Amino acid sequence: MNCQKFESLATELARGEMMDVDVLADARVHQAACSTCSSRLRDEEVLTRGLHSLAIEMNSLQASPSVEERLLASFRQPGVVVPLAPVRNYRPYWLTAVAAILLIVFGLVAVVWRGSNKPKNDLVGRQPAVEAPKQIKTDNDEKNVATSQDNAVNSPKQSKLKPNRNPRELPAKAARVNKPENAVANHASNEVATDFLPLGYLNPASLQDGGQIVRVEVPRTTMASFGFPVNMDRYNERVKADVLLGIDGVPHAIRFVQEKRSQ
Amino acid sequence: MKPKTDLTDAELLRLMMSGDEESFTLLYKRRHPSIYRFALQMSGSQQVAEDVTHDVFLFLMKDGHVFDPNRGSVSSFLFGVARNYVLRRFRGDQLTVPFTESEDDEPLEQVGNEPSPIEELTKAEMIDNVRRAVLSLPERYREVVVLCELQELSYGETAEILGCAIGTVRSRLHRARGLLLAKLRPNQEAEVLSSAAVESARCFA
Repeated sequence: MNCQKFESLATELARGEMMDVDVLADARVHQAACSTCSSRLRDEEVLTRGLHSLAIEMNSLQASPSVEERLLASFRQPGVVVPLAPVRNYRPYWLTAVAAILLIVFGLVAVVWRGSNKPKNDLVGRQPAVEAPKQIKTDNDEKNVATSQDNAVNSPKQSKLKPNRNPRELPAKAARVNKPENAVANHASNEVATDFLPLGYLNPASLQDGGQIVRVEVPRTTMASFGFPVNMDRYNERVKADVLLGIDGVPHAIRFVQEKRSQ
Repeated sequence: MKPKTDLTDAELLRLMMSGDEESFTLLYKRRHPSIYRFALQMSGSQQVAEDVTHDVFLFLMKDGHVFDPNRGSVSSFLFGVARNYVLRRFRGDQLTVPFTESEDDEPLEQVGNEPSPIEELTKAEMIDNVRRAVLSLPERYREVVVLCELQELSYGETAEILGCAIGTVRSRLHRARGLLLAKLRPNQEAEVLSSAAVESARCFA
């Protein structure tokens, strides 16, 4: 051990701090051999004793009773002690209760609203089924079919497949029969759709007796499998599609639906 | 249910914040002496020490909810608040300590106060010199000496209060002790000389 190393340890040695036994032994050896470091350690020890004596002398000191009296007077004043902790504890329960009440109210409103709309839905559900073969054969037929398919879309049977359940839009559909090619008007005036695209080998015989169209949402990448361009930045989004089901429940065709951009 | 005197500081603080005066009194009696001494050792003024003690516990009444037991003990929290108030005093009131000294290693000339060698040997004189030397230290060294040496807190507790690393505390303390030795050296030399003179006299007697 050299003097520099001893210097760095002098404080710890003088304060009697714990250190590695080997380091301590080296330090003691160096102290015995070096008078300068020995003197330095002696000074440090004197300082430690002085500080310790000062600490002991001041150990009995404390603030005058007047400080406590002033503090107690302040403590007794209303509003000085702010019991925020209990409030914070109760707050979540309070919020939970409010949230539960709101949930119940909204639930009741939803039930009442559905009940008031039920007759209309029933009417919609009785609309004639789709003449599926016609839709796929010609564009004009498709347009007409699309209009009638919309009625089928609103059938309550397909509610779990996200059908459009708003029957109020039905009267507006009649005016949307004549549309540009490849932009078939849908039940809503703000939608455009592609042609129906066959899924596998179409057997028109299975559509003789009618069919159903259900509105579904599929990954955007599904469009790519039909040859449509897909923006890869939006590949993980979902896109609406109408699936034409035969009477046997087998899907025969699909078309993709998109919101019409407002002009 | 255990008596309140057996409750921890954090438990007393929680009760105090719910308006329990007895808990406040217990916590005050338990913790105020060290806070008072810390402020006194930092400032050298009893008036300042009392004001700081008052302000610290008033802060505890109003903002005790900011105490986070995960970040340290109530004691460390109170020391930290006290330190802020003391430093605010230093900067706001331009409080001057008895000796205006830079952080250089220059010996403190006034410390000796020209006492006789016999007087220097007295313990009271030595303590007074140490107290003056501590007060003459720059703030960042003084607070480390006060906390580690006079309050006898661990490096970890001191680092918690000062909001710095343990290594920083260690190095500051080393530096502070070097400064203290430089300030006290004339006295120590005189002490050693006077001791040597006494021993010589005994030898010759």
